Amino acid sequence: MPGMADITGDSFSASLVRAAFLAQTRLKALQSRTARRYMNLHALSASLDLFKPGAIVPWVSYLFPTELLTSYRLTPMIPEVGSATLTGTDLREPLEAAAARMPLARDVCSYHRIALAAVENDMLPAPSMCLGTTPLCLGKECLLEMLAVRHNVPFREVRVPLPPDEGETSPEVIADVAEQLRVLHEDIGRWTGRKPDLQRAIRLSNRASAAWGHLMTERLAGRLEMDGRLTFAIVFLGQLLWGTEEGAKDFERLLSERGRRDLMAPILDGGRRLKRLLWLHTVPHHDTEIFDLIREQGAVVILEEMGQMHLETVDPEDPFPGLAGRLANNVLWGSSARRAHLNVALAKQLKVDGAVHFNHWGCRHGLGSLPVVRSAFAQAGIPFLAIDGDALGRGGAQQDKARQAMESFLELL
Amino acid sequence: MPYCYYTCNLIPLDLIIRAGYTPRWLGGFLRDPTASTRRDAPSVHPMTCPYVTKLVAAADALFGAAPDGGTSDDDASGAADGSRPAASPDVLVVPGGCDAARRMGDLLAATYPDQVFVLPMPRGSEPEVAETLATDLRGLEDWLGACRPAGTAPVTDAAAATDTDQREPTGALSNVTQTDCCVPSLDYPSPPRQGGVFVIAGPLTDDSLLRLIERLGAHVSGLESCTSPDRWRPLAVAAGAAAAMSAAGATREAEIDAATRLAPLDHEALAARLLEIGMCPRRSTTHRRDHLARRLDQSRPSSIIYARQSFCDPGAYDALLAADLAKERGLPYLEIEVDFPFDANGPLHTRVEAFLEAQLLDEDLLSDLDY
Repeated sequence: MPGMADITGDSFSASLVRAAFLAQTRLKALQSRTARRYMNLHALSASLDLFKPGAIVPWVSYLFPTELLTSYRLTPMIPEVGSATLTGTDLREPLEAAAARMPLARDVCSYHRIALAAVENDMLPAPSMCLGTTPLCLGKECLLEMLAVRHNVPFREVRVPLPPDEGETSPEVIADVAEQLRVLHEDIGRWTGRKPDLQRAIRLSNRASAAWGHLMTERLAGRLEMDGRLTFAIVFLGQLLWGTEEGAKDFERLLSERGRRDLMAPILDGGRRLKRLLWLHTVPHHDTEIFDLIREQGAVVILEEMGQMHLETVDPEDPFPGLAGRLANNVLWGSSARRAHLNVALAKQLKVDGAVHFNHWGCRHGLGSLPVVRSAFAQAGIPFLAIDGDALGRGGAQQDKARQAMESFLELL
Repeated sequence: MPYCYYTCNLIPLDLIIRAGYTPRWLGGFLRDPTASTRRDAPSVHPMTCPYVTKLVAAADALFGAAPDGGTSDDDASGAADGSRPAASPDVLVVPGGCDAARRMGDLLAATYPDQVFVLPMPRGSEPEVAETLATDLRGLEDWLGACRPAGTAPVTDAAAATDTDQREPTGALSNVTQTDCCVPSLDYPSPPRQGGVFVIAGPLTDDSLLRLIERLGAHVSGLESCTSPDRWRPLAVAAGAAAAMSAAGATREAEIDAATRLAPLDHEALAARLLEIGMCPRRSTTHRRDHLARRLDQSRPSSIIYARQSFCDPGAYDALLAADLAKERGLPYLEIEVDFPFDANGPLHTRVEAFLEAQLLDEDLLSDLDY
């Protein structure tokens, strides 16, 4: 049975294995006809193309406006998405062994550590360019620029000042970021020798954003109850597809009941009310126990903090200010006080029973804001739980501890 | 004069002194480990670097209320020195160079409202970056002015201060005495010379790591740390800071050089200078690599020791960079994980000793081969 190691090669046999693997994923999508399955297919398909010989591989930060790439028919290589995907495959063991051999300290973010081990051991394609954004963390900027230096490829960083604690980023700042994006978009064209079609990418991205924005509005208004753990994956993978035809169609599939039926919150017997949780920060991708427990206890992640992106469209005629605004006003960017304030407001709007903060291993940005966020929830009288874990982890003592903490928390609620 | 504590040496002391404050590096006021802690003291996640962890505790000792059951000012401070009691006019400036530092600023700003300023610190040094930093420095200056207690004044006596014939700071700057002001006092125990160990480290409170190397029979070729004299001396660009520099062993020329710079504050130039000097691990990898390569070429070391604080992201990637540079030059390389303040005892001592002994052994063997 071929595994991921056979898929990520650049040989003829690898391309055959890729084709077979995609056919299998396509079949699943055709059978289910849900947005989630199609998104898996399209994200996988686009990502596997990055392994083909001669492919242009832009390594980018998680919040990078990927429309700048799809404008040139490029698929982004996002370290966080790549790491989460690979550690869910049969490459996990060799990848962890490679990471353990690597001289990089073990206490850095595991997304970035694993991504580095993967690219240094040919499990992820080497970068053709590295494009960062100051949001959300410094670690991934260090990773991207180090990769650029090692592989002798261009590195650019979009500098985004912190937004104010209250209100939106000033128009002057947006204009500055927009100008950086405009220059970068031109640079990408120069490096790749390709002709852009940014308007098309933006129109397609807008179709996806309109669909996702509508869904989020419905969820925030309480008219639609979806499982935030599952919708998290939609946005996470969706980062690879904004601005593509496939991405537009996949997000639009969410608008139909059939298209989103495998993402819905469970319905309890006897009309019992679900305990509603707000999930903050990333999720443990491969640890199903926590979420099984949540479901078993009659609870659901009603909304995920990181799902709040691409909620509005941007002007295709003048896209850079819109893309800049999206980046500068991202809910996770800014001071801890801003993050706390936005999340408490969100929790109140959603009338959640409690909030859970996932303390991802090595994330200084997330862990650092925890005390302020926790304090804000305490002041608002909203139960709050912070659990330690590794987003890429699977099992272990830390997971047991997190599960026990979650169990007690749910009982308290 | 009220005190302006700061957490990182990328703060131009000149600006602080002109705003009417006495600058104090918070790292010099760490909480006595035996002192009691307030029940409501801010706490950080255990996966935070010891520097930030200790500074948060130090800030609480200085800015927080009295610990539970404590009544006197001394109890309130909890700091090793006679620091000021709670509710003082003192302020704290936190340059947010890395995520942990930025979040430390957020936490302290939320805990002690109106007493903490978080200064964004960029990675790059392009002209537009310097421009943004200059604006932020103006913002810091304005904020310091707004926080300054009634009855105190900013330093405007530039004429007196720029009198370079004066051995001691004059005018308003004379308030900045050597005992009040606190900058890192780290210096080389003996002059660095080629062929020794090049040390790259995060913040260090003292020279114990360097002395350890010397005690073990080696010598130091150079030091690259955010508290190293090559870093903080050029940044202490005011006559007022010269007093502290003098206390820390700066040369007379450096004092005069510093004093002559007290012209009207040019924020753009200051920002550019700050970015030029502050080539720390958080900076652009390319620039940092060039900087380290230049320093290594100048000091021609025989080995490199990287003293990295646990849970330090920029340090982790910087250590990889240093390892690459060592490999390119064929230099033995050792990475050690250190605490803050640095503790030269225990396993760390053994590791450094083993590393240095292995080199001496290599040299002996090579000498034997020559015969």
